[in-house]
Amino acid sequence: MAVRAQRRAQTGPLERILADFETVAAHLPESIVARAARRRAAEQLRQLGWPSHDEQWRYFSLRALDRLGTFIPAGAVTGSASAAVAPVASQELAQQERAQQELVLQELALPPSLPGFERRVYVDGMQFSGDAMPIQPRALEPSWLPEQRLGFLGDMFAVDAAVLRVSGAAAIELVFVTSARASGTAVYPRLRLELAADSRVTLVERHLGEPPALTLVCATVTAELARGAQLTHYRLQQCGRTTLFCDTLTARLHDEAHYRVRQVAVGASAGRTSARVRLAGAAAVASWHALAVGRAEQVHDCMLKVELAAPRSRSDEVFRGIADERARVAFSGHIHVEPSAPGAEARQSLRGLIEGEGEVDLRPRLEINTDDVSAQHGATTGRLDDALLFYLLSRGIDPPTARALLKWAFLSDVLRHIEIAQLRTEAERSAAGQLQDVLAVGAVG
Amino acid sequence: MSDARPVTAPIERNAALAADAPPVLEVRDLHVKVGGQLVLRGISLVVQAGEVHAIMGPNGSGKSTLAHVLTGRPGYEIVSGSALFEGQDLFALAPEQRARAGLFLGFQYPVEIPGVNNAYLLKAALNAARRERGLTELDAFEFLALVRAKMQLMRIDESFLGRGVNEGFSGGERKRNEILQMLVLEPKLALLDETDSGLDIDALKLVASGVNSLRAPSRSIVLVTHYQRLLDYVVPDHVHVLAHGRIVRSGDRTLALELERRGYDWVGGEAVVA
Repeated sequence: MAVRAQRRAQTGPLERILADFETVAAHLPESIVARAARRRAAEQLRQLGWPSHDEQWRYFSLRALDRLGTFIPAGAVTGSASAAVAPVASQELAQQERAQQELVLQELALPPSLPGFERRVYVDGMQFSGDAMPIQPRALEPSWLPEQRLGFLGDMFAVDAAVLRVSGAAAIELVFVTSARASGTAVYPRLRLELAADSRVTLVERHLGEPPALTLVCATVTAELARGAQLTHYRLQQCGRTTLFCDTLTARLHDEAHYRVRQVAVGASAGRTSARVRLAGAAAVASWHALAVGRAEQVHDCMLKVELAAPRSRSDEVFRGIADERARVAFSGHIHVEPSAPGAEARQSLRGLIEGEGEVDLRPRLEINTDDVSAQHGATTGRLDDALLFYLLSRGIDPPTARALLKWAFLSDVLRHIEIAQLRTEAERSAAGQLQDVLAVGAVG
Repeated sequence: MSDARPVTAPIERNAALAADAPPVLEVRDLHVKVGGQLVLRGISLVVQAGEVHAIMGPNGSGKSTLAHVLTGRPGYEIVSGSALFEGQDLFALAPEQRARAGLFLGFQYPVEIPGVNNAYLLKAALNAARRERGLTELDAFEFLALVRAKMQLMRIDESFLGRGVNEGFSGGERKRNEILQMLVLEPKLALLDETDSGLDIDALKLVASGVNSLRAPSRSIVLVTHYQRLLDYVVPDHVHVLAHGRIVRSGDRTLALELERRGYDWVGGEAVVA
């Protein structure tokens, strides 16, 4: 243990990541990410370097990673992380793993399944329940932007993946749980979505779990939507406060595809989403509605780049963030309209609400390279509106309730777009848990 | 010529009330600053239970300031003077306490609060007032039965309950919503700040009928208005003209008609604030 601490003190995170990778690389499953692709990812990360002085990463708690015991995924080792690494290979070991996972699930008391949804549960990045899908090695792995470079960690270390290849209609709920067994290490949930032409998919992606010690959850999502495919993607990040949550997503849309994201970030000590959505096909549509509520010392940081690359493509971004106490909430929204996208439309509405000593940083950026475009954007940050507050007080509502109501009102721009009633209720409860003045959920219109 | 009289003159008490009951509202020599500028320069006004008063005046005379100060809106500096609500020091109460005690402000520009639905606001406000009065809170069914009857009176569709407060409402709908809230809350004193502004004649009649339905011996209404047309439908007991931050003339309803004919210059009504 002392040796390990000494090693942490002497080397930076990148060196430790690369060293951990060399330790475990030979044992990581080829079926999830091809060995050559893992090595390419490690090399690309090495070339990019650690983003410690990068403006795009100023909010995410990169220094906290210094305290992480190991980057080797929990599902790839047994016993102490400092012991010699052994792959999950033998049947006996697999049975032991499963027994441990069952215990974890019993203790976790997962939220009830959503009616009409097929549920799959992943514990510490490995599938535990639900029908397995055949996984094929991917010759072409995603190429992450520099702002998304922690996505390479997922490519390097993933031990399992949720792969959804859908034609027709489907409603799927994926629950990613980080257990106590993974405490002090890292888990790499991995999700690949391939939607066939004209398919209709509703996907719920949740991240849960509260390991006792600092744990890195490093999730990667790649989505490919064929012509006319429609994906509604609900994303709930409800991890415990011992978690560092790093989420990297890339999506590519073909003609007339429609991608709706509804994202709620309330958990983790620090959360970072780095997303890139490319509208490669004509009349493709991306709609990204996200909220983040932080309190205490929490950090929620989201970087979203939408590339409108085809005629008549459209994007709609809405972000609502509340930073209470000393929390920091940041959203960087980059819309890039390429010359190949005449008739494109882009709308962006970013709003931040500051309570206490919280900090909100909204960074809208429109980069337009064609004349034939319609673009609207607005970004505002402030405290609760005195006029609205007085209106409620003048009706006899007490100040804490009035403040809570106005926060609900603020978040409703995103919450009301969650069309699954049970999920919306849960999202509301999660957001309520973040607000000091907890309020009955029924207040949301 | 109207029967003008000084505001400090004794006002006939409502026979329905006990002789020793304090006025619902008693404002004495109120001086108020806004942004360092003196806007109210010695307002005195006594409103007895059951009375309807109209406060008229040109733009910038201080009408809305008076309504906001009495209901506790931040941003006003009370320099001197007093305001008693049923004998209680109004300025010692927080805005929400004033509301629960039975003071209601109908806003000139009601705000929009998307995400907070009308039903929640109405129910929370009503039950806050009922708790204050020592009454049991209404459950959802009792509340709906009450509010539906009031909505019918104001010709408001039931779908309104699920919508955000004033979200996407026209100006007229917002004013009707203000009156609906007043009807549900049944205040002891309603201060209606230019409730008639921006209303067409049909909406004006509807709003007036809502106000009239609330008239009762135990309830008082102060109408703040620029024009006398609302007073054709809600007939006041007393009319006051505010100018230069003071009440410069008081009288009965004929004063309003006189103002309509002769304008505010007749009473020296030049604006004192921008």
